[in-house]
Amino acid sequence: TVWPNTGCFSEVAYSQSTGQKEQLSRCLQRGIRRVQDLCKVLQLPRVFEETAVSYFQRALQHPSFHLVSLEKKELLGGCCVFVTCRQHNWPVTMGTICSLLYAKQELFASVYLSLQKELGLSVPALSLADLVKTHLNSFRLFQHASDVPAPFVEDKDKMIARTMQIVELASETWLVTGRHPVPIVTAAAFLSWQSLQPASRLTCTLGRFCKLAGVDLPPPAHLRLKELLEILLRMASQLAWLRVFNMDKKTVVKHIGDLLQNRIFLLKNAFCLEDREEQCAAAPGEDSPGVGSPGFPLATGGAAQEEGCPSEGKRQREGSPRPLLPPCLINPRKRLRTAAPNASDSAITGDEPISDSEIEQYLRGPDEIRAFRKAKAWP
Amino acid sequence: SQFKDDLPTSPQLFPPMSPYDVDLPIQTTEDVLFGSQFNQPKELPADFSVDLSFLPDITQYNKEQNRSEDGHETQKELDGSVSRNEDSGIFMDGSSSSCPDTTQPSPEASGVCPPLTPMTPMTPVTPASESSGIVPQLQNIVSTVNLACKLDLKNIALHARNAEYNPKRFAAVIMRIREPRTTALIFSSGKMVCTGAKSEEQSRLAARKYARVVQKLGFPAKFLDFKIQNMVGSCDVRFPIRLEGLVLTHQQFSSYEPELFPGLIYRMVKPRIVLLIFVSGKVVLTGAKERSEIYEAFENIYPILKGFKKAS
Repeated sequence: TVWPNTGCFSEVAYSQSTGQKEQLSRCLQRGIRRVQDLCKVLQLPRVFEETAVSYFQRALQHPSFHLVSLEKKELLGGCCVFVTCRQHNWPVTMGTICSLLYAKQELFASVYLSLQKELGLSVPALSLADLVKTHLNSFRLFQHASDVPAPFVEDKDKMIARTMQIVELASETWLVTGRHPVPIVTAAAFLSWQSLQPASRLTCTLGRFCKLAGVDLPPPAHLRLKELLEILLRMASQLAWLRVFNMDKKTVVKHIGDLLQNRIFLLKNAFCLEDREEQCAAAPGEDSPGVGSPGFPLATGGAAQEEGCPSEGKRQREGSPRPLLPPCLINPRKRLRTAAPNASDSAITGDEPISDSEIEQYLRGPDEIRAFRKAKAWP
Repeated sequence: SQFKDDLPTSPQLFPPMSPYDVDLPIQTTEDVLFGSQFNQPKELPADFSVDLSFLPDITQYNKEQNRSEDGHETQKELDGSVSRNEDSGIFMDGSSSSCPDTTQPSPEASGVCPPLTPMTPMTPVTPASESSGIVPQLQNIVSTVNLACKLDLKNIALHARNAEYNPKRFAAVIMRIREPRTTALIFSSGKMVCTGAKSEEQSRLAARKYARVVQKLGFPAKFLDFKIQNMVGSCDVRFPIRLEGLVLTHQQFSSYEPELFPGLIYRMVKPRIVLLIFVSGKVVLTGAKERSEIYEAFENIYPILKGFKKAS
């Protein structure tokens, strides 16, 4: 055996002698491999992989992520991939990444928000239009199968196109902002599918549709469907030849095609939009439905007028126009607290005298203490 | 001259604040911008003899003790608390510049304690004509105070009606009082957190009441380093907001993830406030140490939101 020269022991740092530095980069290597694997599974372009890996390396060097648990480091890789996709407008939801990583969404969310904050990353909003295409890719209704009735099979491109239009309509009518994106796409896909062959599909429920399509039915989808139908019904009330029918949420589906074709005109008339007199007084639909004033932008960053729609001097229409507002403003939930500060509250200085009696109301009497002690079996 | 000055290409306006920057010769820009008067405690000369006559509650407590109207007080407790109070530390209220030398009237005589200078004006300073005309309402104040004595939490939970203590779940007593309606977390170290008040003054009053409860339970509680840690306000701009548009134009400050949360999280740099902006037009502002930061943050965001409204 060769004994080492004891003289050099004092000079060697622990990290050098134990390969601690190599260990750190092994962790990094593992993380990078995971990021690359994730990109491959999602079939992302090559450049995404490079970006995601560089984010991951930057993040791991950052003090907030350097020493987090392994579990979080795994999620960090997923977050970097997610951010990269979003920055390239590649539609992927957090739900997708979480399921691929078997991650809890809350933990993923916290790591993601930290990453965004610490690295100062700007992440554009998810593009719903792109999400429609990727989401519909997972639907099973585009090919004949033994468990799918023949009239239920649909052409993919037609369905994508119509679903996109319905999603756009939802976005214009405030049904999308602040809401989870997937249920909107699910509800829109259902309506679009039904409307393409209403005769045989009107009896199919949303639940059954999702089951046949092989997708999950997210709980909010029912509400989104209801909201969409309400919008469509109001629009239908502006088409003269439809007013003779008593439209309900089943029958309106048959006319979704027409409604979508004229949606700009119909929205203008069905709802009180901006501050223009002419649009609220416009004579609806007695001309051919193709006539609509070229759409003035409805949805570009604008907000609906909060004042009530002027209804004097207008013919009574079925379903008089309501303001175009987010559902939370149309059906405001009951206020839980009035919370207006009253005068006496504002006069508090913080130095008020505190009476003994006020404090004593919070103290237990001797009998109470005895009883409490017995109940709790404390010494 | 042939020697060129080596100037940095981007002058650093915001020197990074590391925890190790103890000796900063000049006030950094960040201090000026985020300038909270509560960050730096006022320095007092070393020979400052503690004159506590300007501390209304402790003085009053002494006087009440002497009156012995309360049969529960023991002599020992009286002596103990009196001597403690004389040693009690500097009452840090951030605005304690005013009082020490003036003779204050006895609190029990007037029944009213001379108010310390309010920390900030109750109403915003900006005139309504220039501003939004909307005043955010304070919804929650979080403050901390040091009672400066070790506490027996089990004992407190046993003797106080308004206390909750589940050591397996959380290592503090949760205590509540009705007026001001607040909750306190009381730790065995003697540190206390007070939440739920609607104003700085209410938070301080509440914290004092909790300290009183603890005192009445027999602990030599003081009231040191009271500090407002966070203020939350809210208001309504009264028109709906296209959050997806806002995140587009203000990407560097905004985070909008409807998959996670319906509101847009806007991290304002000056003042350093976080705003939660919702489609309904409701706005929540948090992270303030002074209420002026809340008002200023709202005045900054309002034109941005309004600008959105008119776009078409």
